[in-house]
Amino acid sequence: MNKKLGALALLGASAIVLAGCSGGGTPASTDGATAGFDPAAAKDQNITLWLMGGDTPDALRDYLKTEYKAATGGTLTIEEQSWGDALTKLTAQLPDSKNTPDVTEIGNTWSPTFTTAGAFADLSGIYKDLGGSDLLDSFVKVGEVDGKQYALPYYFGSRYITYRKDIWDKAGLSVPKTLDEFNADVAKLKTPEQSGFYIGGQDWRNGISWVFANGGDLAKKDGDKWVSTLSDEKTVEGLEQFQTLFKDASNAPVTENDSTPWVNINNDKSGAAPTAATIIAPGWAHWSIGDFKEEKKKDDGTTTEVREWNDATFGVFPLPGNDGKPAPVFAGGSNIAISAKSTKQAGAKELLRIMFSGEYQDMLGKNGLGPANTKHVDSLGDDIFAKALIDSALNSKLTPAAPGWAAVEGQKILEEFFGKVAAGGDIASLAKEYDTKINAIING
Amino acid sequence: MATATTTPSRRSQAPRDDGTRKRSFVPYALLLPAVIILLFGMGYPVIWQFYISFHKYGALQQLGGKPPEFVWFDNFVAVATNPEFWAVAIRSVLFCVITAAVTVAVGILLALLMKKVSAAARLVLQISLLLAWAMPVVAAMTVWIWLFDRRRGVVNYLLDKIPGVDMNQYNWIGGAPIVFFAVASIIVVWMSVPFVAFSVYAGLTQVSDEVIEATELDGAGGGQRLRYIYLPMLRPVIAIVLLLNLIWDLRVFAQITMLQDAGPQSTEYDLLGTYIYKLGVGGLNFGQGAAMSIFVLALTIALSWFYVRSLLKEDEA
Amino acid sequence: MSVTALPPTAVADAPKAQAAGRSPRTRPRLRPTTVLWNVFAVVLGIVWLFPVYWMVNSSMLSPSTLEAATPTFVPFGGSFANFAAVIDGRFWSALGVSVTVTLIAVFCCLLFAFLASIAISRFRFRGRKSFILAVLLIQMLPAEGLFIAQYKMMSELGLLSNVIGLSILYTAAVVPFTVWMLRGFVAGVPAELEEAAMVDGLSRTQAFMRITLPLLAPGLVAAGVFAFLQCWNEFTVALVIMSADNQTLPLWLRGFVQASQTRAIDWGQVMAASTIVAIPVIIFFLIVQGRMTSGLVSGAVKG
Repeated sequence: MNKKLGALALLGASAIVLAGCSGGGTPASTDGATAGFDPAAAKDQNITLWLMGGDTPDALRDYLKTEYKAATGGTLTIEEQSWGDALTKLTAQLPDSKNTPDVTEIGNTWSPTFTTAGAFADLSGIYKDLGGSDLLDSFVKVGEVDGKQYALPYYFGSRYITYRKDIWDKAGLSVPKTLDEFNADVAKLKTPEQSGFYIGGQDWRNGISWVFANGGDLAKKDGDKWVSTLSDEKTVEGLEQFQTLFKDASNAPVTENDSTPWVNINNDKSGAAPTAATIIAPGWAHWSIGDFKEEKKKDDGTTTEVREWNDATFGVFPLPGNDGKPAPVFAGGSNIAISAKSTKQAGAKELLRIMFSGEYQDMLGKNGLGPANTKHVDSLGDDIFAKALIDSALNSKLTPAAPGWAAVEGQKILEEFFGKVAAGGDIASLAKEYDTKINAIING
Repeated sequence: MATATTTPSRRSQAPRDDGTRKRSFVPYALLLPAVIILLFGMGYPVIWQFYISFHKYGALQQLGGKPPEFVWFDNFVAVATNPEFWAVAIRSVLFCVITAAVTVAVGILLALLMKKVSAAARLVLQISLLLAWAMPVVAAMTVWIWLFDRRRGVVNYLLDKIPGVDMNQYNWIGGAPIVFFAVASIIVVWMSVPFVAFSVYAGLTQVSDEVIEATELDGAGGGQRLRYIYLPMLRPVIAIVLLLNLIWDLRVFAQITMLQDAGPQSTEYDLLGTYIYKLGVGGLNFGQGAAMSIFVLALTIALSWFYVRSLLKEDEA
Repeated sequence: MSVTALPPTAVADAPKAQAAGRSPRTRPRLRPTTVLWNVFAVVLGIVWLFPVYWMVNSSMLSPSTLEAATPTFVPFGGSFANFAAVIDGRFWSALGVSVTVTLIAVFCCLLFAFLASIAISRFRFRGRKSFILAVLLIQMLPAEGLFIAQYKMMSELGLLSNVIGLSILYTAAVVPFTVWMLRGFVAGVPAELEEAAMVDGLSRTQAFMRITLPLLAPGLVAAGVFAFLQCWNEFTVALVIMSADNQTLPLWLRGFVQASQTRAIDWGQVMAASTIVAIPVIIFFLIVQGRMTSGLVSGAVKG
């Protein structure tokens, strides 16, 4: 396990090329707030935390509320924003000191943009107290400007392959050791009714793994400016692999993304065969995969399917690379930051102190969310899911830490690009076209 | 419509002499609440839009408080030289013209149908149209998206049942853009026809029966009646509903955005409304988004110029 | 070929034709072709209504039934479980917000627009044409880019996530179209009617109240219905202005449809929620339906 921890701490090293300091823009000052903690000022401060989507389970949210009250006497209000609307709401509300969320989760792909724009408060004063170099380096880097930290890691995720053991066994295939083997295997499994490997044409967050695995990348820093590298030889190689893979192994529509992959690998309630033999999905998806057990009513009145994992039917493995290590996949996860315009800086910092405490970090791990503090990775456990998560996270990468990256995502440029590639377009010319598009906005 | 009395214009009357002093400010007083609320709710945002269309206003300005840079017409030039924008604009104009035309045509036909049938059947038809019209957009969109769903939608199910037609899992929403827009058009038409049908029907009931009987006596057939009596009479109503539908269909946003959420997100599936949102908001480039909005405003004025001009002329009469 | 114009009395008669479009004089004889047309109309009505039916149908089925490859057309053995699931505290709060905002906005809008339309239709004054033009142009401007400014404004005024704030924005949004509509109505009621009443000794205001206003009532109802629809359905502005715990109904509904990372979309609940959002509107419509169509009948939608 130590080897894993050590390797994880090196995660940053392999990702540093990607996540170098983003240039441009001077973040706003923190309006006179002290650099470090200020428990006295935090007393009785009521603060608001924004969380994105449903990733943070209720148990953790309750813990934060209770602990915050105990620490400061103030009330913590948690507001959940859906990922789709979050960009709009953050853009409108962060700059408004009367209504800004004091602390907010921020997707790691948006962190560079918001950080360089100056939306967040300077955390370098408390960085060491919150974990310093123990914190996941690549995530720290996307929230850093000129050596100062503004957004710190909250949790990391990763993606790995879930496959139908029963179907693979029947075809006489075993877990592939290299990416080339994987590509060939899933192509063999494709039938008109069943994808060998289900991946939507627009699903760049998963498709990017093939680019990474061939040594390619989305963008690189050229001196002071970021440059889109879709046309790079290695990227093109990866894209070609993706194109072939989509054609040979997937029945998914060209226009689909990655929202609910698990529906394809489960037998549906009546036991009909699944529409996919293999899928790639983020770590938490495994809760929704398995044999159908029952429909359960949750506390909030909604019903949910309960699925039970079955080791004979399902299995997981990290997507293999061609070099003996897992293929670099896109690291999911978020950062956490304090709004520069918040008037409750002290309270916000106390909340961060709670979030980076050992106890909370362990709670994150126990719930399948990779803790920001690499010393607590143990808490993820050692079942097959934890292993797959950690193994795949070892080599994972982030999107370019460029000031304009949020705009690239906001305009769905990569969805469009991948969709066209999957549809069989000419990669070289498409890459050039989209390089131009991305270069126009990547530097903010 | 001129009244039977001789005074031509319905607006020609001067206020009575209840004190000539009052004459000058009464209309202004009446106008005041509306003007205030408009200035308040719309004034600042509209002016702000015009203002930033001449500035560089992006993430740095919005989130970091950096002052916006005055860039003259750069935003407008960027929009005008963006081939994607023109592709989207042309697509939007086509969409709006076709959809509005179909809506008005179907609406007129339904209105004629309503006039033709007996009261009970008319009631059934009108209630159906009313219910369709009353359905909230978000609710209607979710149902329609569900109906056209690739895997479980009713449309595919029913079409598949037709022998010889293999529609199993046909991808309506995520397939070719033209299919996507056909679906969008069908949905918009479904939502907009009731208004047209009711308005035209109202206009139809105004045609006095003596005239109709007179034409019947003269031996005029249904088609001739349509062309020479109904359509001319209905022209003002048709002009208005056509104009309104053109404006609304050019600005269509909610339906397209919800269809895109269900699948394809690339620009080929964008119309002006979603494109502006994608670029201006998603792309954090508010300055350019504002310039684009102004372009669309100009486009809308151009499209509806025929009406605006007749409106202004009519007032002078 | 000019057509004899509608005598003024017909304008007064029209509101009496309460039932949808029943003209007092026409009664088509039941010829065979009419029967065919009747059948056609009914079938067309049913087909048009299908999506509404589908929504209600699906709302009573369980998610597993809906996920099946074969659609279920009639909800035998269905239940109201989905409804029970979606109706919770958040729903009631969203309902409250939507109803409040809509009622305020519609009321203010009708009042302001009515006054303005009288001003435009009955008076000549400087700036009249500009106002009409402005009202038309405002409707043409795409609203998507305005929300940032609207947010800033509301924030300055402390009206964020506030029913008043949203009502102001909604009123401003629907006033132009309402002025446009009412203008035609008011113009359709000739001033001569008032003047005739004034000859009889009534003051102008009394004449207006007793003669013109009742004639305008159906028009006001029609305009009110439009405004109601627009406010009830709006969500882009509401998304930005209202916070997550103070939502309007469309936002609440949208929450069900957004693919969450940890949970698949529950279509049964989505349909149930949609049905619930649609019900108040439909009831409202059915109530005012008679008045409204007669409003349109009384020569409303004119230039």
